[in-house]
Amino acid sequence: MPDEFRVPLIIRGEIIDDAAVEHGGRRGGVSFRAPDIARHVGKLTLRTPSHMADLYTLSFEQILDYLVELGTRLDFDTNPHVREAFRLSCITSGLSDSILRFHYARLGTMFNRAGMRAMVERSCGVDYLEGWVDQGPGMVPGLTARTRAFGARSIHVIAGNAPIVSILTVIRNALTRSDAVIKLPSNDPLTAVALVCTMVEMAPDHPITRHISVAYWKGGDDAVERAIYDPRGVEKIIAWGGFASVKHITKYLQPGIDLITQDPKMSGTIIGREAFADDATLRSVARRLALDVGAQNQEGCVSARVIYVESGTDADGVARANRLGELTFAALQSLPPHLSTPHKAFDQALKSEIDAARLQDEDYRVYGGKTNEGAVIVSQDDYPVDFSRMLACRVGNIVPIDSFETAVRSVNAYTQTIGIFPEALKEALCDRLAFQGAQRLVSLGGAATMQHNMEKQDAIEPVRRMVKWVTVETADGAMLEALAG
Amino acid sequence: MSDYFKRLLKDPTSFHDAPYDQAFTLTIEQIGQLHLEGARKRFIGLRPGLSVLDKLAREQGIEAIETIDDIAPLLFPHTVYKSYPLSYLERARFDKLTKWLGGLTTTDISNIDATGIESIDDWLDLLDAETPLTVAHTSGTTGKLSFVPRTKEQWRQTIVHSATIIRDWWGHGSGPDILKDKMPIIIPGYRYGAAAAQRGNGIQVDLYAGGEDNALFMYPDARFSADVASLAGRLRAAEARGEAGIGDIPQILLDRRESLLELEQRRPEDVRHFFEEAQRRFGGKDVYVTAMWAILFDWAEEGLKRGIKNIFGPDSVLLTGGGKKGKDMPDNWRDQVLEFLGFTNFYEMYATSEMMGLCIKCEYDHYHVPPVIVPFLLDPQTGVPLPRKDGTVGRFAGLDLMPNTYWAGLITGDEVRMSGWETTCACGRTGPYVHPEIRRYSEAEGGDDRIVCAGAPEAHDRALEFLAELSM
Repeated sequence: MPDEFRVPLIIRGEIIDDAAVEHGGRRGGVSFRAPDIARHVGKLTLRTPSHMADLYTLSFEQILDYLVELGTRLDFDTNPHVREAFRLSCITSGLSDSILRFHYARLGTMFNRAGMRAMVERSCGVDYLEGWVDQGPGMVPGLTARTRAFGARSIHVIAGNAPIVSILTVIRNALTRSDAVIKLPSNDPLTAVALVCTMVEMAPDHPITRHISVAYWKGGDDAVERAIYDPRGVEKIIAWGGFASVKHITKYLQPGIDLITQDPKMSGTIIGREAFADDATLRSVARRLALDVGAQNQEGCVSARVIYVESGTDADGVARANRLGELTFAALQSLPPHLSTPHKAFDQALKSEIDAARLQDEDYRVYGGKTNEGAVIVSQDDYPVDFSRMLACRVGNIVPIDSFETAVRSVNAYTQTIGIFPEALKEALCDRLAFQGAQRLVSLGGAATMQHNMEKQDAIEPVRRMVKWVTVETADGAMLEALAG
Repeated sequence: MSDYFKRLLKDPTSFHDAPYDQAFTLTIEQIGQLHLEGARKRFIGLRPGLSVLDKLAREQGIEAIETIDDIAPLLFPHTVYKSYPLSYLERARFDKLTKWLGGLTTTDISNIDATGIESIDDWLDLLDAETPLTVAHTSGTTGKLSFVPRTKEQWRQTIVHSATIIRDWWGHGSGPDILKDKMPIIIPGYRYGAAAAQRGNGIQVDLYAGGEDNALFMYPDARFSADVASLAGRLRAAEARGEAGIGDIPQILLDRRESLLELEQRRPEDVRHFFEEAQRRFGGKDVYVTAMWAILFDWAEEGLKRGIKNIFGPDSVLLTGGGKKGKDMPDNWRDQVLEFLGFTNFYEMYATSEMMGLCIKCEYDHYHVPPVIVPFLLDPQTGVPLPRKDGTVGRFAGLDLMPNTYWAGLITGDEVRMSGWETTCACGRTGPYVHPEIRRYSEAEGGDDRIVCAGAPEAHDRALEFLAELSM
């Protein structure tokens, strides 16, 4: 019997931890207790916009100071909140303990001063957050304008498949001088709590601490959500996740609320014919492909699932694809444990599909997939498996094709990242893949292991959308008066 | 050793018309013997002619059935009956689909020439016409269609079996003997088609009703098309393949999607007409009704709204099952259905399309597994069979010994609790039974607020939702 966890409610620096309500039966058999949100719902959102003013007593540098110091306090060995979040995640997360330990031991590294500054420069621009920026001459002579980016009162309905989501939310909220209520996901209810508890202990009265709240309620609880999603207290909702979670929210949309959806996405791979130049190249491609499939246990939207390979579809071509499948599966088994391990909760519906595919050897060649070790399924024709949407738990599907054209046409708006080999193919295809809907094109092996300019996320630039772009226009009074005739 | 038991031991298929009440008087030892010997008989008899079973046995390293647990690794994942690639359909490779199906039945269909066939309906018609098979497909509401290679003889046996259950479930001869006395049959669905729900229609008209004049269907002239039923799975798979996928969908299928929307608009009128006919032709008479609960509730709600109740005679019977199917129904939905129908004699089942046997609910709400089904509870993670101990919870699997031309050993996606091994049910029926709280493993975990960033949203499609409703 796993022990019971407590998920406190934190409202603007006040920690409420009365564990009044039990939420049971979650993944891993875990249950946790949290305060009764209905009793506190009135205080959760900020109904008085004037209370945003304290954030404007801080300079951007002071905000960075705060975040950098927060980063130093997230030490795995000394911070009990971080350890508790890790302990619960070991039960609820799809990531294995070794991968989680790697992430939780490095929570602080995201709070890198230069990194955070660069992120803002590439999105809003620091000068826009710091003051009114002259917009240069406009269409009307004598009319000038200055624009500034202001923080908004927001609800963040976050995803729980990786701790980075909580970290990004806290950082983005602080840097944009926004006010956040974080709705905790049941698959990771404690990482955001750990961050915000640490903030409260570090600087209980600091404006940044006073402008972040975290709460758990059961998604879809109408009585609670009706009170929370009210334009008098909320300007923006940043919602991660799929149809069900977003559908709840759309019920409450009305003029005055801006919904920013971070839709779920799938990622894939395109491997050109050059991979088969010689055995050494193929082995190297297999090792890089194993990274794209296996890193973070394929839990992320960045993880590769369907892999189009320009091997040809005749018998020799399929044999080449099978060889890549065999090598990739072997490479998957050798990934280091901080990146990837056999999945601790292998999806049994997927397992049924793999078991049936294995018996259908005319159409599929299955490497692995016996228990929870992961698998590479090689289609023996130029079609992905019919269950491609279910691919997870380190299971990739290699699809042999005659020309990369098939791969390009298979990309759609739900395609996030595409790992590509060789580089020349990536350069040649990047514009076309973008038309089709792809949002991030990377060197094979770089899909789930590293990421540059994460603020571009899914090609929607959420940081720019989280702020309000306010303009001050100035014209000569006499000129205006002349318009009155 | 009773003759009854000896007969089942010798030929489990003979169970289809054996007195049903006697099945639940066998001792646990007899049931165990029947399971083991029956499983051996089926494994030895079917393996040489079933390439898929042979492959699985080789893969699992099982050459002989020593104990009942040796069967567990040989149970098919339920996906086996839909393991053909959808590309066969998109590329009209019905020759390959035939070959695929041939691996799942000992009936020789290798002589079938499916070249030139372009639709699933035509392919099924071809098999109907030229082989002993009448293949049934599942409704496919969530994805791909399964195809179960049942023979014409087995369909007839299935219908006879249901009649035997109705006659004997509450005691020998306690229910109407439909085969002998005939009864009007009322089915709020399609008359024709190859879905499991339609396959028995013709035989029921013949054996139960004694002719078309004594039968009423919601769509008496229409066929529930397998091609339409396959739409949901094919469109979803196509969408996942982007432009390349959408381009592969034949225009005729897209047109059929449109026609579903028209049918949906006409639905209230069709339902009303069906009522009127039911009342006009069979009101007050004792009838046989078969339908899933969800559709019966729709029917009852509409009828009660219009003040219609007690529509049929008090000695009517209802064969049903299926639960709420995600429908929003009030707490007293069951009472509403019974009030509308006007009788209380119903037979509620838990069953899978691949098996011929049914598990019928007793007065203590337990679904009794008949002795010709070898039931297993498997560990949901490892697939290892759990001990035959009362109150055990696991993934339900079973081998139905009645089918003798295909392997009816299946692992379901259902989490169930099973008892009856150690203590007999209070109703007195011997043998294992399934407790009423049955849920899909896919529903068991997660919930609405387990949010991840990976996935591909599926657009809401009204036509496909209606298809789901039609398929119930």
